[in-house]
Amino acid sequence: MIVVKDLVRRYGTHTAVDRLSFTAQPGEIVGLLGPNGAGKTTTMRILTGFLPPTAGSVQVGGFDVQTDSLEVRRRVGYLPERVPVYPDMTVRGYVLFWARLRGVPRPAAAVEAVLKRFDLLDRQHKLVRSLSKGLRQRLGLAQALVHNPPVVILDEPTIGIDPGQVIEVREVVKSLRQEHTVLFSSHILSEVEQVCDRVVILHRGRMVAAGTPEVLGRQMKPGTHLYVALGGKAPAEIKKLLQKLDGVHTVREQGAGFVISSHGERDQRAAVTALSARHGLPLLELRPIELSLEDIFLTLLEKG
Amino acid sequence: MLTIWIIFRREVAQYFASPLAYLIAAAFLLLTGITFNNDVALSITVKPVEPALIPDLLAEIMVLIAPLLTMRLLAEEHREGTVELLLTAPIADSSIVIGKFLSAWAYFTFLLALTLLYQFILVNISQPDIAHTIAAYLGIWLYGGATLAVGLLFSATTENQILAAFLSLITLLVLYFGDSAGQIVANLDVAAILFNLTLRGHYAPSFSIGVVRAEDVVYYAGVMAVALFIAIRLLESKRWRG
Repeated sequence: MIVVKDLVRRYGTHTAVDRLSFTAQPGEIVGLLGPNGAGKTTTMRILTGFLPPTAGSVQVGGFDVQTDSLEVRRRVGYLPERVPVYPDMTVRGYVLFWARLRGVPRPAAAVEAVLKRFDLLDRQHKLVRSLSKGLRQRLGLAQALVHNPPVVILDEPTIGIDPGQVIEVREVVKSLRQEHTVLFSSHILSEVEQVCDRVVILHRGRMVAAGTPEVLGRQMKPGTHLYVALGGKAPAEIKKLLQKLDGVHTVREQGAGFVISSHGERDQRAAVTALSARHGLPLLELRPIELSLEDIFLTLLEKG
Repeated sequence: MLTIWIIFRREVAQYFASPLAYLIAAAFLLLTGITFNNDVALSITVKPVEPALIPDLLAEIMVLIAPLLTMRLLAEEHREGTVELLLTAPIADSSIVIGKFLSAWAYFTFLLALTLLYQFILVNISQPDIAHTIAAYLGIWLYGGATLAVGLLFSATTENQILAAFLSLITLLVLYFGDSAGQIVANLDVAAILFNLTLRGHYAPSFSIGVVRAEDVVYYAGVMAVALFIAIRLLESKRWRG
């Protein structure tokens, strides 16, 4: 549904997006993750047809954003980072305006449905200026979805709203998976982990990693990571014994036990149980652990 | 065409919801009303009624009114960020500019139509030169369109409405008083050229005295076309500037 190939966008001498390539399939939620200035908004603006790319190609639904911009724009619903509103319009009038502008065949019915979906029906005659930030966010989502676009692009939709509304917006985004391809940007790692099927991590305009959060964990720190808690000896002695295991490169204390990391895909569980039996140390806990996206992100930024 | 109509409708509704537009309308009617009253009073003893009285007055004050009526049109879209949604909607950039311009022109037409009340009164109390009045109204309608197009052009340049109004006011003053420069050059040809470049130069010697000339219609249409063309290009440049 979305195919981005070698995308470059420069502002003067500054390169905001540098040879970025990724795809998003129908029914998939792809997260763009990165700190401020990573190129997330620029990438999204190019995908919506707002900005032209300096080089590379972007296709949405089989249409090129440069040569078939209007066709692309028909297929995209977009919520910019700062929800753009007309403060003097009513909630209903605002959504109806965008529905008409995007050529929705029965705009009144579509507006009714989308206002109901975002629980704005009872506020439809209120002026937009009277809405709270959270309600404006819902209104922004309503305008982005009123024409039922196959592709939905949401630029940091949870920024600046309270925690309850953040959960609400995340649930809405997850519910879009059934009918839309969603591109979702955020700089909150846990959010992307919760919401997205795949993640593209950007830093200074370049893609530093891509994949599912689980795959990214394996990509960044190859090898298995085990949490081990052994009794019967002082922690320092246990640590020494664990360090001597073949293939183990790092042992660090965590809580009442240790996290051991080994090279490659080597599973150290058998070695740990053998060690426990050999030295008569009671095995209190042994489990594989996944790296959090936070760990991955920090590692990538250090490399970048 | 449909998208122009949708933009036009929103903007017209915006005019009728804006306190500033009502203030402008009130000032407009107060000024024209007082002028008309004075002219009618003078016509009893001193001189006949002036058929182009209201259009002549408007030719002077449109330089002030046009910036106020148009400063919001695109500057507000830039400030609120809605321009990003407009430029990512499946519509041509020209539809946005044309729709907005037509809404401003329609609001001006509405104000102009209110002043027809004075003509209605005149018809009932005297025998005014109707053809002269119609020519003057046609002239001021075109003249107003040209000033509004210039105002819209400057609204496309900035997100600051006050700055947009100020820039268009300066430009309209130059276009209005430009012929004064013709009075201080010692060359008749240069003076004629300067006069023909000004807004007043295509109103005072023709529409104001009841004459409709094709060259004046073309001049105002040309000012509108050039200003709108530049406004469209400025809006498009937003895509490149981000």
